[in-house]
Amino acid sequence: MSNAYKIKLLLVDDEVKFLQSIAKRLELKDFEVTTATTGEAAIACAEKGLFDVAVVDFQMPGMDGAQVLKTLKEKHKYLEILMLTGHATVDSAVECTKLGAFQYLEKPYEFEKLVEVITAAYQERLNKKFEHNQKRMDEIQKLSFGSSPLGLLRALSRLDNEEK
Amino acid sequence: MNGADTNQIKEDLAFFGKINASISHELKNILAIISEAAGLLNDLTEMAATGKDVDPEMLKTCSQDIIDEIQRGFTTIRQMNIFSHSADDPAKEVNPTDCLKLMIGLAGFLSVACQIRFDPPKTDIPMVYTNPFRLQNLIYQTLVFAFKSVGPEGAITVSLHSEKGDAARIHFSGLGSEPLRLFPYERASMVAGSINAEFQIDDNNQTIDIMVPQLEKAMH
Repeated sequence: MSNAYKIKLLLVDDEVKFLQSIAKRLELKDFEVTTATTGEAAIACAEKGLFDVAVVDFQMPGMDGAQVLKTLKEKHKYLEILMLTGHATVDSAVECTKLGAFQYLEKPYEFEKLVEVITAAYQERLNKKFEHNQKRMDEIQKLSFGSSPLGLLRALSRLDNEEK
Repeated sequence: MNGADTNQIKEDLAFFGKINASISHELKNILAIISEAAGLLNDLTEMAATGKDVDPEMLKTCSQDIIDEIQRGFTTIRQMNIFSHSADDPAKEVNPTDCLKLMIGLAGFLSVACQIRFDPPKTDIPMVYTNPFRLQNLIYQTLVFAFKSVGPEGAITVSLHSEKGDAARIHFSGLGSEPLRLFPYERASMVAGSINAEFQIDDNNQTIDIMVPQLEKAMH
């Protein structure tokens, strides 16, 4: 059995049958999949678990995809989000891009294309986290010069609070 | 052609476009489900070919999903066909029950749609001589207003009654907190006027009625 890391996906769509089929197909491709059928459930899932990529349907009853995208990006800045829509328009594509979506796919799409985009989104997540960690290391190095241990701890705590 | 006629034609076109957009979205969702279920069947077949165990229940679920969605697709296309043909005649005999059921079905595709309970009529409702396309528009606009008043988690009730002096009364109840005085909108009033229909709004009981005139009284 492979010990390779499984990309953690959160799939959000109100069409249950669609969700179940796509979840199963992605599991067969070695993704770790959690599903949610409403925007509110998706946000609650994201609070409980750490996801790498979310795939969100644009049009859902109640809290729609754009609201879910906005809320998830606010609370989980390294979560990459793909938007799926049955009806792509320039306006909705622009809206999603402005809200921070990684990409926007129109249904029905090629499954292999979806897998490719999810993998690219995960890579983007890794790149952003790496950059962040690199900056943090630089900050810590700067702080550590000439600081007492207590002073260093206080500075690190300030750094942590700024990132929240 | 005067300004009022132009506005009415614009409204007719806008309504036709809106419904067709909604139907196309529904059909895309159906095709997406069929596509994923077929894709999963394919994946499972490939797994079986490599000698891995495949759960027969999963195969059954996939094929049943495809069958169910094809039926849902046929129903949607049937509704689209009936709706499209409603624009054929400017006036004809319309079965209000069928008209109402069609619009409940089509309005149900909307993401703002809530649960709709249709109470079947207790007595026979006479046919109405009217413009079926515009009657559908009136019903649709009222349903959309009702959905927004209760939210997608809510529920409304729709019923049909035969009225003395009027052919039919379509009754919407269980409406929510949206002030009913906001309805009907100008567009809905214009469409109602074109077929001599009337809205009756009851703010206290949170109900809306559409009075659809008798065969002889309708304008065409």
